[in-house]
Amino acid sequence: MGQVESNQSSAPNNSQSRPSDSLDALIAEAAAFGDDENESLDAKAQKALECPCIAHLRSGPCGTQFSEAFVCFLKSSAEEKGSDCVHPFVALQNCIKANPNAFSKDILDDDDEVKKEEEPTQEYKIIPPIWAAEKGPKQKL
Amino acid sequence: MEEEICRDLPLVLSSFVDTFVDFSVSGLFLPQSSNPNPNPNPNPNSSSDTDPLPSSPKLATRYPAPDRLIAVGDLHGDLQKSKEALRLAALIDASDRWTGRTATVVQIGDVLDRGGDELKILYFLEKLKREAEKSGGTIITMNGNHEIMNVDGDFRFVTQAGLDEFRVWADWFCIGNAMKSLCDGLEKPKDPFFGIPLKFLGVKEELYHSIRCRIAALRPEGPISVRFLSQNQTVVVVGDSVFVHGGLLPKHVFYGLERINEEVRDWINGLKGRFSPGYLRGKHSMVWLRKFSHELAQNCDCSTLEHVLATIPGAKRMIMGHTIQETGINGACGNRAIRIDVGMSKGCINGLPEVLEIIGNSELRVLTSNPSYRDRLEADRKGGLGLLLPEHGPRQVEVKA
Repeated sequence: MGQVESNQSSAPNNSQSRPSDSLDALIAEAAAFGDDENESLDAKAQKALECPCIAHLRSGPCGTQFSEAFVCFLKSSAEEKGSDCVHPFVALQNCIKANPNAFSKDILDDDDEVKKEEEPTQEYKIIPPIWAAEKGPKQKL
Repeated sequence: MEEEICRDLPLVLSSFVDTFVDFSVSGLFLPQSSNPNPNPNPNPNSSSDTDPLPSSPKLATRYPAPDRLIAVGDLHGDLQKSKEALRLAALIDASDRWTGRTATVVQIGDVLDRGGDELKILYFLEKLKREAEKSGGTIITMNGNHEIMNVDGDFRFVTQAGLDEFRVWADWFCIGNAMKSLCDGLEKPKDPFFGIPLKFLGVKEELYHSIRCRIAALRPEGPISVRFLSQNQTVVVVGDSVFVHGGLLPKHVFYGLERINEEVRDWINGLKGRFSPGYLRGKHSMVWLRKFSHELAQNCDCSTLEHVLATIPGAKRMIMGHTIQETGINGACGNRAIRIDVGMSKGCINGLPEVLEIIGNSELRVLTSNPSYRDRLEADRKGGLGLLLPEHGPRQVEVKA
């Protein structure tokens, strides 16, 4: 994958600076609900990992990274849900970059059946970028 | 309870994947929308049996005058300049969060083309929209001719960096789809490349894939079109100001402003065929017109403008982008035409950011990062640049960028 996302791992660390995430708020929350709440959140997340929906996602070369990112997302209470999961998200990104087909095996299998009807039509005309002409400089528009 | 967790998990997975894809493409985590676009990451086939595509909330065409209104011109793929422009008006803080409180912002269109941060700007404006909403502010984004061209498949002004950004988007989008399709509880996502040719005559072969990605994203019903561009208005009336990218002619008003907004939205959502409606094409169309934005004020058709404004109840002025004003934001026809495209993008003339501010119903001001604005006014007074800075262009106020 290209360069565009490569410098982004450091960008969204604003989750730490949000006032609503302050320690006070967390303590107040813990006091209100007791430790059970956190425990049950953990337990819930662990149970979710056993669900059949994500069985395939947990196997394969990026299964571990997926599980960590997913559990973090489940437990995220940030206003921008997941914004406190930058590290596991970046780990999952990196794993996918290193294993571009990490999640695509089953899909490719499925695709064989539908390929025929998905044959692209060749009638979709576009006007390409001015600089994209195949050979020689093209006349200006 | 375990069953319950697993029953809900496909939807949770779907939202996880969308969040992950958004983060990978834009580096951003979007706040939850309190007024959710019913189709946030459009996968027409997935999970959403409840929301058929585009009977989305009606696009507003008329807004009451806000306490504070800021108008931002053409952005053309330059995220840095876009942020500078918003910062001039104190709409965002140093960490890019909305600080504009209840202000209304109108972005006049042309986010696309000529630069490489097109998706990043779309995402950033989406994030700000949601933040603004929470504090009672409003961000109105509009269609310019370059949005229309790209949905039409006219990529003449696309840059290499622009193609790259969409290629990266497509990579992550497809990975997201692959992840979703591994969960049996989710329907198989639609292939975003369906029906797109594998090659393009006369185009360098190494660009085929990137061009396919851009078509997939931006064609009618494309995931980026539906998610971002279908929210855009093509014309709005805010208080006593009419906003349109190029300009309005009497025939457009006669056709119906609400009707135009709805039709364009429907076209972008894939309900009206491949190509844009006629009133968006050609030099007399709403997004291409330059009759009221010619840099030489004497070449502006003030009498037509008067006529158009007279047919829109309460309208005192038309505010337009599209035509670069090298001298900065200015007015013509007795300030009935306000021209706000300062060509700020590096892909244009790398102009100094300026935005227009209207407080209540009082006077118009230009917020500028240009320290030489005094010279401009001075020259104007002496008549030296009188032709370029006609009449009493809006008052300039220098603001630290």
